[in-house]
Amino acid sequence: MNGDVRSWRVALVPDTLINPQDRMRTSFPDALEVLEASGYGVLQLPGRGAHGLLLAVIADQVAEYAHHGYAVVAIGVRGEPGNGLHWRRLAPLLRHRGVAPLPRHVIRAGVDDPTERQRFAAFLSAYDLPLEEQRHWRV
Amino acid sequence: MTHAPPVLEQDAPRKVALIANCLLNQNAKVCEGARYRGVVNPVVEALLSRGYQLQQLPCPELAFAGARRWWAVYEQYDTPAYRAHCRRLAQAIAPTVEQHLRRGDEVILIGLDGSPSSGVRFTSSKPEWGGRPNRPDDDWDIVPHRGVWIEELEAELARRGLQPLPATGWALDMGRFDEAGARRDLEQFLDSREMAARSRVDDSTS
Repeated sequence: MNGDVRSWRVALVPDTLINPQDRMRTSFPDALEVLEASGYGVLQLPGRGAHGLLLAVIADQVAEYAHHGYAVVAIGVRGEPGNGLHWRRLAPLLRHRGVAPLPRHVIRAGVDDPTERQRFAAFLSAYDLPLEEQRHWRV
Repeated sequence: MTHAPPVLEQDAPRKVALIANCLLNQNAKVCEGARYRGVVNPVVEALLSRGYQLQQLPCPELAFAGARRWWAVYEQYDTPAYRAHCRRLAQAIAPTVEQHLRRGDEVILIGLDGSPSSGVRFTSSKPEWGGRPNRPDDDWDIVPHRGVWIEELEAELARRGLQPLPATGWALDMGRFDEAGARRDLEQFLDSREMAARSRVDDSTS
């Protein structure tokens, strides 16, 4: 096998952005479309409710990426509890695994779609690891 | 990728697709295995355009063997420790699946054919693999069998008294990747589900 085209960039994304028909359907840019166009891989966070074991499993994956040259960001949704990121549970799980705080972008509900989309795309394209780290890992 | 999600009533039964982790995130793939930058768009497109919600499964290999793991075949992952790890992951996601099924949602499973973990119709096999990882290209067999993770996930759902899920795999790890063929396969599977659902409705109203 050869020709690996992975992006080395991963976004934590709330369920409500991936499956928006449950709530607030039309207020967001099509998050998956923007993430795909920006070359990000997606780690889906669960919807509302207690998901202790699943969040621990997701934290394990984030730690593995963060420690091996991947750029990891978190995308939140303003108006959702914890921005849809389960942050009160997830932040200590990540800290416990030695993961530095993730850059976060919060999408605003109910604002003009193209503007919000541009802001979101600009955040995604602007972020990456320092070049030295990229060179170290991405061979 | 443009799609308008169908308008659903809050309590109407939904269509939910459990999808292998790497179908939303190719960074989960073993080194040299990523065929897309991040999201596998043809799979997402096929599912969203048919009204499915997406439920990403955890990646069992990444959390067990790491982001820089060697390639492996079914037999190398068929160990008690890896199966225990997969069971833990299955227990993490099963409550969500169970909740969907108990409320009458249609739930399907889309794995990754050819994968030692996430294969549904096919997995990779080579019982003699081991030692120094210097095997030549295409030196493994594709056999009709579940991957280890899918076996453990299905076992966990069965333990909860749930019916087996209709399932297929995106044929990414079958040796030479044929995107058009994989797309045809997936669309046939999804369309056959639609037709079956329609005929059930027709039967119940006639």
